[in-house]
Amino acid sequence: MITAERKPLSEIKESIAPYKKMLIVGCGSCVAECASGGEKEVGLLASALRMDAKKENRELELLEMTLDRQCVFEFIDQLTELVDEYDAVLSLGCGAGVQAVAEVFPRAIIVPALNTTFLGQTKESGLWLENCRGCGDCKLAYFAAVCPVTRCAKGLFNGPCGGSKNGNCEVDPETPCAWALIVTRLEESGRLDALATIHPPAQWSRQQGKGPRKIVREDQRI
Amino acid sequence: MKTNGHLNYAIFFCQRLDPSQDTNRRALEKELGSHIRFFPMPCTGRVEALHLMRALESGADKVYVVTCASSTCRYREGNARAKKRLEFAQGLIEEIGLERERLEILPISSPPPVSVDTMARELMGRETKLSPSPLR
Repeated sequence: MITAERKPLSEIKESIAPYKKMLIVGCGSCVAECASGGEKEVGLLASALRMDAKKENRELELLEMTLDRQCVFEFIDQLTELVDEYDAVLSLGCGAGVQAVAEVFPRAIIVPALNTTFLGQTKESGLWLENCRGCGDCKLAYFAAVCPVTRCAKGLFNGPCGGSKNGNCEVDPETPCAWALIVTRLEESGRLDALATIHPPAQWSRQQGKGPRKIVREDQRI
Repeated sequence: MKTNGHLNYAIFFCQRLDPSQDTNRRALEKELGSHIRFFPMPCTGRVEALHLMRALESGADKVYVVTCASSTCRYREGNARAKKRLEFAQGLIEEIGLERERLEILPISSPPPVSVDTMARELMGRETKLSPSPLR
């Protein structure tokens, strides 16, 4: 899923300073799972902004909404009747959600309330870890389903680097060494000989070689 | 007993602390009107930061979350979770310039039952530097 964190309130306040009547829109998917942009977080931010405005004797009217997915037109369409009635939309969606809403409403002012961070896994309640970089050339099959591009601080395809201590990374001792995980998993599944394979450099052109990427599936189009 | 009569209080509490809480709190609510609001909970682990924010937004000057003593929670760690959520909410109100002290967690040290009205009177009688909330 896509993870995000809420921007500091001071930054949000600065972005919305000119507006008195705002739609504050969350997303019930990834950013709800990582507790940054779901219904609860919309409520918390709205409450904080209302209290702040009242404290400073400013006028601020907020309507709270949470879409199931803020990056899909069918859900964004729920805002159609509302957007024109508000000065701006404060979005608690990820970067994709913010831009999708902006594209649907070309004249509307859309303000992001989150910093989108990484593709991650919910390791446990309140802990999210980056484990995919969306490189477009997945090599997990060769590395026992542990991504060295993302989870090795040095991005080594032919590791380990030799710097890990007690199974943890020398760059960040609190992070497990991706290569220690890879070797352990290969060993436990009887595939240690896979380590003999030399892997060529990644095809980075698939990630960033041609600018923004797109996927076209004719069978899915209407 | 002397109380900070000029302040409004919201008290979230674990209802296991006082089996007669329904009668006890209603009597005090009737006596003090809008100066006090009780929020009995099956366990304070149910408290969310949003509850605390809304209490402040609705005019409470001081919000207490009254929990069982450490390691005596019927549901094992409800009181510990309440503490974390209250601390999170304290960070949020600090961002808007409100004092952290407006939110306070209070583990009850004596074993239940505790009379919530007596407890509330004691809390309202405590000395405090807080003035009425600027949100009122």
